[in-house]
Amino acid sequence: MTRTARPRHHSAIALAATLPLLLAACSGQYPNSTFTDLTDLNRDSTSLWNLMIWLGIGVFVIVELLLVFVMIRYRRRPNDAEPEHVHGNTKLELTWTILPAVILVIIAVPTVKSIWRFQSGAPANALQVDVIGHQWWWEFRYPEQNIITANELYLPTGRPVNFTLRSQDVIHSFWIPQLGGKRDVVNNRTNHLWFTPDSVGTRAFNGSCNEFCGASHANMRFRAYTVSPEEFDRWVAGQQATAIFPAAPAPAPASGAPTAATPVAAQTPPPAPVAAWVFPADQLPSHVVPTTPIPAGLTFAEDVLAAGDAQRGFEQYSRSLCIGCHRIRGNPSSLGVIGPDLTHIGSRHTVGAGLFPNDARHLALWIKNARKMKPMSLAAASMPTIGIGEFDPLLKTSVTAALGGLTDQQIADIVAYLMSLK
Amino acid sequence: MATVAASPTYAGTAGTPRTGIMDWLTTVDHKKIGTLYLHTALFFFVVGGVEAIIMRAQLMGPNGKLVSAEVFNQLFTMHGTTMVFLVIMPLSAAFFNFLIPLQIGARDVAFPRLNAFSYWIYLFGGLFITIPIFFNAAPDGGWFAYTPLTGRQYSPGQNLNFWVLGIQILGISSLAAAFNFATTIINLRAPGMHLMRMPMFTWMSFVVQWLIILAFPVITIALFFMQFDRFFGTNFYTVSAGADPLLWQHLFWIFGHPEVYILVLPAFGLVSEVLPTYSRKPLFGYAVVAYSGILIGFLGFGVWAHHMFAAGMGPIADTVFGVTTMLIAIPTGVKIFNWIFTMWGGSIRFTTAMKFAIALIAMFTIGGISGITHASPPSDMQQTDTYYIVAHFHYVLYGGAIMGIFAGIYHYFPKWYGRKMNETLGTWHFWLNFIAFNLTFFPMHYAGMLGMPRRIYTYDAGQGWELFNMISSIGAFLMAPAFLIFLWNFFRSKKVGEIAGDNPWDAATLEWSIPSPPPEYNFAQIPMVTSRYPLWDLTHPERMADVPHSSEGWDEAKRRTGEHVTKGGRHEADVAPMHIESERKSAKELGIPMPNPTIKPLWVAAGILVLFSSLPVMYAGKHAIAFMMMAVGGSMFLGFLYAWLTTPLEDAH
Repeated sequence: MTRTARPRHHSAIALAATLPLLLAACSGQYPNSTFTDLTDLNRDSTSLWNLMIWLGIGVFVIVELLLVFVMIRYRRRPNDAEPEHVHGNTKLELTWTILPAVILVIIAVPTVKSIWRFQSGAPANALQVDVIGHQWWWEFRYPEQNIITANELYLPTGRPVNFTLRSQDVIHSFWIPQLGGKRDVVNNRTNHLWFTPDSVGTRAFNGSCNEFCGASHANMRFRAYTVSPEEFDRWVAGQQATAIFPAAPAPAPASGAPTAATPVAAQTPPPAPVAAWVFPADQLPSHVVPTTPIPAGLTFAEDVLAAGDAQRGFEQYSRSLCIGCHRIRGNPSSLGVIGPDLTHIGSRHTVGAGLFPNDARHLALWIKNARKMKPMSLAAASMPTIGIGEFDPLLKTSVTAALGGLTDQQIADIVAYLMSLK
Repeated sequence: MATVAASPTYAGTAGTPRTGIMDWLTTVDHKKIGTLYLHTALFFFVVGGVEAIIMRAQLMGPNGKLVSAEVFNQLFTMHGTTMVFLVIMPLSAAFFNFLIPLQIGARDVAFPRLNAFSYWIYLFGGLFITIPIFFNAAPDGGWFAYTPLTGRQYSPGQNLNFWVLGIQILGISSLAAAFNFATTIINLRAPGMHLMRMPMFTWMSFVVQWLIILAFPVITIALFFMQFDRFFGTNFYTVSAGADPLLWQHLFWIFGHPEVYILVLPAFGLVSEVLPTYSRKPLFGYAVVAYSGILIGFLGFGVWAHHMFAAGMGPIADTVFGVTTMLIAIPTGVKIFNWIFTMWGGSIRFTTAMKFAIALIAMFTIGGISGITHASPPSDMQQTDTYYIVAHFHYVLYGGAIMGIFAGIYHYFPKWYGRKMNETLGTWHFWLNFIAFNLTFFPMHYAGMLGMPRRIYTYDAGQGWELFNMISSIGAFLMAPAFLIFLWNFFRSKKVGEIAGDNPWDAATLEWSIPSPPPEYNFAQIPMVTSRYPLWDLTHPERMADVPHSSEGWDEAKRRTGEHVTKGGRHEADVAPMHIESERKSAKELGIPMPNPTIKPLWVAAGILVLFSSLPVMYAGKHAIAFMMMAVGGSMFLGFLYAWLTTPLEDAH
């Protein structure tokens, strides 16, 4: 974690200075602070903030001091003489018209410079990432790398990244507070946002949706990982590979890769022999590990879960409702495009758009009754309730086998299969 | 005035005085209608406040479970909608009604029955949009209801129907009232009251009426588009048919930004009355305060897109709207300094009203400064749609509008009810409210800049937001007792408050020259106005000699009345027709024609309500019932409107 603390430090002081009471609070850890120097975009907005907040504090202090002075000095005393009836003072009034105008010019110049710097197109060498907002999850596509993933974003450090933002349904807004400002994701329009994560190492960040988009707006979160170019290439290699099941014994992973390597598909020409890489689970900082509680009344027996069989799960998955919405490259029956691409779901750290940790238990509960795990609406294409006997909170009915429901054992098998898709 | 065409059959019967509830249902007296507005708005204030407190309870800690996502979404939608359309605007309307005629020396507004209609349609619209929350069917698209989320495809329930129709109904109320008050101010000023002698509240109200007249038609059109999309399947906002979602955003904010000034300018006007009175000094730079109000009004129409800096409008739009937004800070700052220098050199009495007025200066300044930080688009990209924005606009709308309105209520209560509010309770209310307000909203600046999005019903633990949310929630809980103290004081003082007399605060403007509460006709004799501060002319004329616009008015007064008025020859009755309560004469005794009470505006408003209510019924598929409602509502509307328009306003005289 190498980062210069100076600009961030300034902002924290500036923010805190407005109310000394909270100064102590500011020494804590703020994993989503907007004041960082991690990208060029954020350096711009942070320096603008610093300029404005110091000028603003100046104005604040002048106004409030003046007010307090007037209140004390001119409070009514007994035997006060009738005050002089002053009706105005042209010089004074000109002063407090012109002075703010000057302050605003000081703010306007760097503002306009920054607007044009970041809205005149991304640098040519930028990594292209397509962001597609869905109710209520994020689809990320790397068109040059031919990767489709969901809710987890990998960004190489030192290289500009150009996000192309589009929406599948309603307006969303794409934001990683620590890396830069937000940009709305608007239907029938293509918006852009670019920045360069140039002062950051391998780190994990939270992202969120910021335009109210319906029932689960609060649950439309995502993760962004800034990684070294070398780690990024290895991640790309892993994600490009097709999911093959049953998994062939993995080639010996390169030293230092903490997770299991993804086997390179037999039918694709073997690229450079790099071992696949994902952001190591044991290095995830606590702020990117979800704490969402499991809704009351939703359980999954541990022994059933442990007995999940990946091979049975593969077969079950391939003839279930799942394939209508989800795609798994390498599973010829799984071709859906409505839901998130599951090709490498086992390599992700969260499920439900940053809502739960992606472990067997949460994934099983998610499949069993996603609509209870996360508020959804009938108007949006959403994950159906699968567990037999589960009450669907939207359809107001219980799921049966005839409706495509699955038993806990079948779900546990599917979970075993999905978790193997690293 | 319908003096010529009046048929004798109407005379006498329509003038029968009514009592009890019928008195309120049929009143066309601007003061009573103001009272109705005031009480209804205070009721909705409680509703909106309870909604806010439930939200703060939910957000007190991470992963809150008090309410579901859908209930929370209804709560914040209705909290915003309620506070904007059902609380602050009507509280301002209460003051427009009560004060404008008194301040300009008129006996009523220009169209008294239209005024009654404005109130009833407001009440009906307010109930129409509020009642669904008790059935878990309240609007849930946010107060700015962005399409396509609010279109039929993504919000198929009835919820949004109540919003789109309710706001449309409330718009009728605002527009009718705005035309009424603009006409009143233009036409009914007392002789000698030229524009530069108008009290500052009337000035700011005048600006606001024009903002309403120009801004509300835009939202009306936008709502009609949405209404047609939802009920009749048109495609103004249907993205699958190629609509650009930014159309709604532009239309909404072309209305929505002037709306901000519609909300705060009346409060600015009120404190511009309060500050001079308790400082015993005229308003510093009267002309500049008036002109800056006009300038704010004009610029307010040129900054709307700063709500959309994240929407991807492109660098040219971002630059232009960033700069215009910064410009609007100048006239606003001018007002702040003029208020402070009104107090400078004065002899300040810290009544509750004065405390609230000073709090407005102090708190609105914070809202203004945070406003500048998102006038800069690159900086705004980190702020928009976060809790920082929530903090900002509460410092503007609570720290600005609500503080000013509280100042106005404490200041004008004696005129309204003839009794003063209790100052001890007032002081308690002020301090508790001031502390609770800052506890609630200041930490939101931090939460927002530390990455917390707005409109989320839940958040994860460990994000660095817990402390700030906890403090905010505690502050919100403290606001409830503060407001209860106010309500207790308000209702109790009506009965047992200290008798106020005509001019308890030694104020300077016309409304304080008449008895408290004012007689139905306001002024037994229409005053002739010779200065901005007619009552101070009487108490210290030597100080007023050099007041601008205070002497040449004599010629104007002469011209208008045809009377011979000399500067030295004025006497008390010219300026301040004083009345002794026991000797108060009725309008009839004085031969003053007053408009007759009538219930027709209420029925016309009810007809409109039935008409609009038929649409959700139709939406539910019950076409026969809907058609019947349309027929009934339509005939009520047309029938009573015809009866209204063919009945003279007042008895023949």
